[in-house]
Amino acid sequence: MELTPSEQDRLLLFSAGQLAKSRLERGLKLNKPEAVAIISNAVIEAARDGASHSEAITAGLSALKNEDLLPGVSAMLNGIAVEAVFNDGRRLVVINFKSTDSDYPGKVTRLTPFPVIEKDSTKIKVKNESNLPISVTSHMHFMEVNPKLRFKRELAYGMRLNIPSGTHIDFPPNVIVDVELIPIEGDRVVIGFAGIVDGNLDTPDGLSKALEKLKHFGYLTGEPS
Amino acid sequence: MKPEELRAAQEDISVHGARAGDFVRLGDTNLVIRVEKDDREFGSEFQMGFGKSARDGMGLKSVNTSQSCDLVITNVLLIDAIAGIKVTSIGIRDGRISAIGRPGNPDTMNNIDVVVGSGTLVIPGEGLIVTAGGIDTHVHALSPRVCDAALSSGVTTIIAQEFGPFWGVGVSSAWALKHGFEMFSAWPINVGILGRASSSTKPPLQEALSAGICGLKIHEDTGAHPRTIDTALSFAEEHDIAVALHTDGLNEMVDINGTLSAIAGRAVHAFHVEGCGGGHAPNVLQLAGRDHILASSTNPTLAYGINAADEHLAMIISAHGMNADLPSDVALAKNRVRNATMAAENRLHDLGVIPVTSSDALGMGRADDTWRKTFAMASMFSDRAILDGTVAPAEVQISNERVLRHIAKITINPALVHGLAGEVGSVQVGLVADLALWRYSDFASKPQLVIKSGIPAWGVVGDPGATVKDAQPLLIGPQFGAYGATAADLGINFINKSASNLSARRKNVAVANTRSVRSSQMINHGVLGEVEISAKGDVVTFNGELVSSEPLKNSSLTRLYLI
Repeated sequence: MELTPSEQDRLLLFSAGQLAKSRLERGLKLNKPEAVAIISNAVIEAARDGASHSEAITAGLSALKNEDLLPGVSAMLNGIAVEAVFNDGRRLVVINFKSTDSDYPGKVTRLTPFPVIEKDSTKIKVKNESNLPISVTSHMHFMEVNPKLRFKRELAYGMRLNIPSGTHIDFPPNVIVDVELIPIEGDRVVIGFAGIVDGNLDTPDGLSKALEKLKHFGYLTGEPS
Repeated sequence: MKPEELRAAQEDISVHGARAGDFVRLGDTNLVIRVEKDDREFGSEFQMGFGKSARDGMGLKSVNTSQSCDLVITNVLLIDAIAGIKVTSIGIRDGRISAIGRPGNPDTMNNIDVVVGSGTLVIPGEGLIVTAGGIDTHVHALSPRVCDAALSSGVTTIIAQEFGPFWGVGVSSAWALKHGFEMFSAWPINVGILGRASSSTKPPLQEALSAGICGLKIHEDTGAHPRTIDTALSFAEEHDIAVALHTDGLNEMVDINGTLSAIAGRAVHAFHVEGCGGGHAPNVLQLAGRDHILASSTNPTLAYGINAADEHLAMIISAHGMNADLPSDVALAKNRVRNATMAAENRLHDLGVIPVTSSDALGMGRADDTWRKTFAMASMFSDRAILDGTVAPAEVQISNERVLRHIAKITINPALVHGLAGEVGSVQVGLVADLALWRYSDFASKPQLVIKSGIPAWGVVGDPGATVKDAQPLLIGPQFGAYGATAADLGINFINKSASNLSARRKNVAVANTRSVRSSQMINHGVLGEVEISAKGDVVTFNGELVSSEPLKNSSLTRLYLI
């Protein structure tokens, strides 16, 4: 058979799936490994039958019903990844089983809402004068963002977007977007990015030197219209 | 992104995990903890990935790892017997924990504790729990696969009594010990080996000491007489090593009081103190609650269940060279199985009297079950917190104290008992980075990743030919740290101060402070008192009060997880 390690692993899924199936047929409700095996096998066998990728997802999702599962198990079946051999090659399928459990293992309950932390911000208008979409993330030194964004760069010296970490703001071409900026914190040292500052922000000539560099490299600046 | 989308991203539990004030149910237990603290700044979290904050000049500082760290585990829910329950990040340098707290770049972020460099490796810990690696002080390494089982359950340190299918209950042969330490270097696991202390004179103990044992084991199957107890303890006092004791279940020479006289107030680790695993019948549990006796349990009697007694009869006969066809053997075995002492043992754990749990792997316990059984036991004494909003957040009955008590039993307390606490047992700056990462839903049942001396060494691996690392079937097994010469580099041999001519294949560290350790110093435990047992073994009291518990019909962390 010349089975590869991946193929041998599929046989483990098959064994586990058959075991789970026999338990289901005895009227038992299934636990997490049993349910994962049955869902994974359903995907693999659908692909073997010639199903398309979306048909294999349907097969995985419909392999089990919530009432086939022990309480709490359905919530543990999110994001089951399995690779199946389709007619056009091996493909990754991810099954997000819909949970109906209101109580489940590992549940996080949040009874206290978060306080909103208000920071003094500077509001500016930004226009993307290129023909491509541009996105800017929370912790980027805003003064040094894409030269094709037009805004008052002097107001963005040592500033970043006032948005949650890991999020971003989109600047579609030729649209003016209002954004809020807040000061970069910590020791206020900006190193890297486009190399416009490359040092401590709070020096007497830091801003003027940075503006000179921006001008030299042709960054768009000034109030957009 | 719209403001409401931004806000949702900020609050999303699947993105950032639990936050301070959140309640987290551990696995399918009744244990609900409240996160005490979050070292992150809300809205300015260090996050790895596409479009996230952990990029050069933002969250990453462009410095060498000597000024930052080799590895950081970010924004993970720490549960530690000493540090408590909080969301934090753990920096690791040269295999040890170098910093704990808020991660990131101090150039651009406030109050950074863990400087993350542009070359620092990152394990995102959002949505995961981190604990110290488990310490199992009672392992019969009768099969090499016991190491696989231990690592697969989140145990990173074992105290072994054999390394093969022979009668050991402690190894004293210098020739055998030399090979034993070399064998264990195949696994990324810390190992100490106990010498056989059932010896009436010191020369066999001296041979074992020179060959690198970390402690001694006295076992009734090889002799637990007053003379051997005294010989072992006086030798141990001279050389700062621990003594583990399995007392005389026959009461052949002395009863429990005679054994206590032989111990004479010296520190001793009382193995499976309930007695099913062996020891003075029916009252060995009376050893618990005394300051100089460090009592531990083995996992089959924990989370006391309705089938515990029936299982033990078969187990005793099978494990101790007995024969089920011999009526005298069956009678002896039956003397060891008592529901009342099992029911009391579990309660004494909850009260903080018994400070340590262990496995007795392959010798009447399960190498991969101690985390599970310890927390299933914690769960059996807990009522589920009411979290439907009818109880004010500050009034919710949480299990933080109970969880911190029980995690001490499998981490810091066994480390203290065996003199390992200078290296392992807790998540603290300076200690070896032996850590287990768990999903909230699988906590104490199945770890996602075991980190040994800062390197991913064991854990969940998927289909090896897949496009992603998490494709089914997901198996728990070796990670890169278990391969090549690295496994030996990552593990520590726990030895003694007087050992000589040891293998240099692994790091050798002498145990310390094993003679001064006392039960009253056990973390989140230390309750002392008088345990009394009736002559029939059917009534147990602690300081005059009846101690018992109801056997479980259903244990948590079990049916939902194991195929």
